[in-house]
Amino acid sequence: MILSRTSRLTLRTVALTYLFLLVAVPIVLIFYRTFEDGFVAFWESITTPAAISALSLSLLIVAIVVPLNVIFGIATALALVRGRFRGRGLVQAIVDLPFAVSPIVVGVSLILLWGANGWFGFIEKDGGFKIIFALPAMILATIFVTLPFVVREVEPVLHEIGEEQEQAAATLGASRWQTFWRITLPAIRWGLTYGIVLTVARSLGEFGAVIMVSAGVPGESQTLTLLVHGRYIDDHNTFGAYSASTLLMILALITLLLMTVLDQKRTER
Amino acid sequence: MTDIAPSADALHALVEGSGAINVGSHAIEVHGLEKHYGDYHALRDINLTIPSGSLTALLGPSGSGKSTLLRAIAGLEVPDGGTVIIGGSDVTYVPPQEREIGFVFQHYAAFKHMTVRDNVGFGPSIRKQPKAEIAKRVDELLEIVGLGGYQERYPSQLSGGQRQRMALARALAVHPKVLLLDEPFGALDAKVRDDLRQWLRQLQSETGVTTVLVTHDQEEALDVADHIAVLNEGRIEQWGSPREVYETPANTFVMSFLGPTAKLRGELVRPHDLVLSKRQIDDAVPVTVERVVHLGFEVRVELRDGESTDLSAQITRGEASRLELAVGDQIYVRPGLHVDPVAPDSAQPAPGLEKTSA
Repeated sequence: MILSRTSRLTLRTVALTYLFLLVAVPIVLIFYRTFEDGFVAFWESITTPAAISALSLSLLIVAIVVPLNVIFGIATALALVRGRFRGRGLVQAIVDLPFAVSPIVVGVSLILLWGANGWFGFIEKDGGFKIIFALPAMILATIFVTLPFVVREVEPVLHEIGEEQEQAAATLGASRWQTFWRITLPAIRWGLTYGIVLTVARSLGEFGAVIMVSAGVPGESQTLTLLVHGRYIDDHNTFGAYSASTLLMILALITLLLMTVLDQKRTER
Repeated sequence: MTDIAPSADALHALVEGSGAINVGSHAIEVHGLEKHYGDYHALRDINLTIPSGSLTALLGPSGSGKSTLLRAIAGLEVPDGGTVIIGGSDVTYVPPQEREIGFVFQHYAAFKHMTVRDNVGFGPSIRKQPKAEIAKRVDELLEIVGLGGYQERYPSQLSGGQRQRMALARALAVHPKVLLLDEPFGALDAKVRDDLRQWLRQLQSETGVTTVLVTHDQEEALDVADHIAVLNEGRIEQWGSPREVYETPANTFVMSFLGPTAKLRGELVRPHDLVLSKRQIDDAVPVTVERVVHLGFEVRVELRDGESTDLSAQITRGEASRLELAVGDQIYVRPGLHVDPVAPDSAQPAPGLEKTSA
């Protein structure tokens, strides 16, 4: 397609303005408002007991969700790529489901299933082990929304490397477990890392599903996203909300940076 | 490619350490092997014995079952029926890890994230051998395969031929009872393929490790193998020495798969077994010369008989000049006296092969 100089410039301006107005301006504005009164104010706002508790809870959820997603993500990807079983198409669809279902629906369905009157309600009623409105439900909700990432990043790499290296290892005497650790895992490590980074970013940012199943008590059961929400809506503490948002964004930026570096490494190879 | 001839010392070291030579017995026996993939019948009642220390080629077109047979011997495929015996013990349901085999894949199957040293040392390291011992053996093997000094390279830094030699060293590192090669030179270009073929032949005859090679290239099979099993549609059509399968093919399939053929009075003969004459002798067939092609030391004469079918004969230069052939000449052609033409669809039992219930 050949465009005249004018229309080319117009198109560029429109695209950049769009990006700037819709993405850059809101983020820059938050940064600006956060640091308007200096760094100390920001620092004090994110080191209150409630903020520290929210940060730790968010990181705790990440620390639990990531290993679980890695283990089950690799297992699922292996089954989907190497396995010959009926219903593979169904499994593929289920893996993609969290991309399609709204997080708030996830929250509601978790309450329906695990709540006191749900199918698994006996665990709470008889076992006294609180799930809904407690940490377990927040973890379940986060797992649900992040489940596809590791599977979808590892799957194409497994396809690409094929089975011959694994078969060669078998003929050389390696057990399945040895083959996995020494051949398969090193071969998929870039896809896996990428999947982990995506999982971390999504876990930190999850709000809709988590707010449904959290008790939302500040200093106890608030994640960073819930802290932003709580400060802004309940406490009318707008500055506190901006500071917590900035903290979230800094974490997101670190993850994004890590992702870019890893992606470069991956394309180099 | 001049430095790849195995040194005598290195070879000696290899043989010393190898459990490969057990003289007199059959290294591999296959009885009544069957394999299906869904509706597809990949192996049909395969019976085969491979003598110790020999190099056997499984030769056939794609889809003939030759690779499936090799993979069943390796344990990479589980047969639906029959038995596989390696070194006297039944290994039909033994996993590949415990079969003491070396396997080389067409596309090398190099461990891409490991150096050449770690690739070749993989088998010994799985067996928990001391590091120093592994390093010594790896160096020895790399010397043998002509990759001395390449220890710290990665497979991506090697050419195809070098990768395949690395794969061979990796397979030999575990002292295999048998060496199984699945179209090992199929992905290489012609020159490298020829060199590696000669080199493999030499390596095999000097180490004496029982070797089975899968190939679809009849020239390769005739060139390197002591025995050839010709496969077609999941069956072994014939088993024998290269000379036997070439000169006394069991049927038309073997005949036409192993070399060029010409059809004379409905019978298949080799073009170089045709005798041309200007006079009518016995029952010679009258034909017309269509074209005379000089191919260096031999001459191909393209002929057409009365029924308008084409055939070509291959004769020597001397023969050609004696006959003074010209296009359009009317001459006579008959099979050479020593030749036993193969009638189409004659199903002779394959020599050297156990009776198959085909």
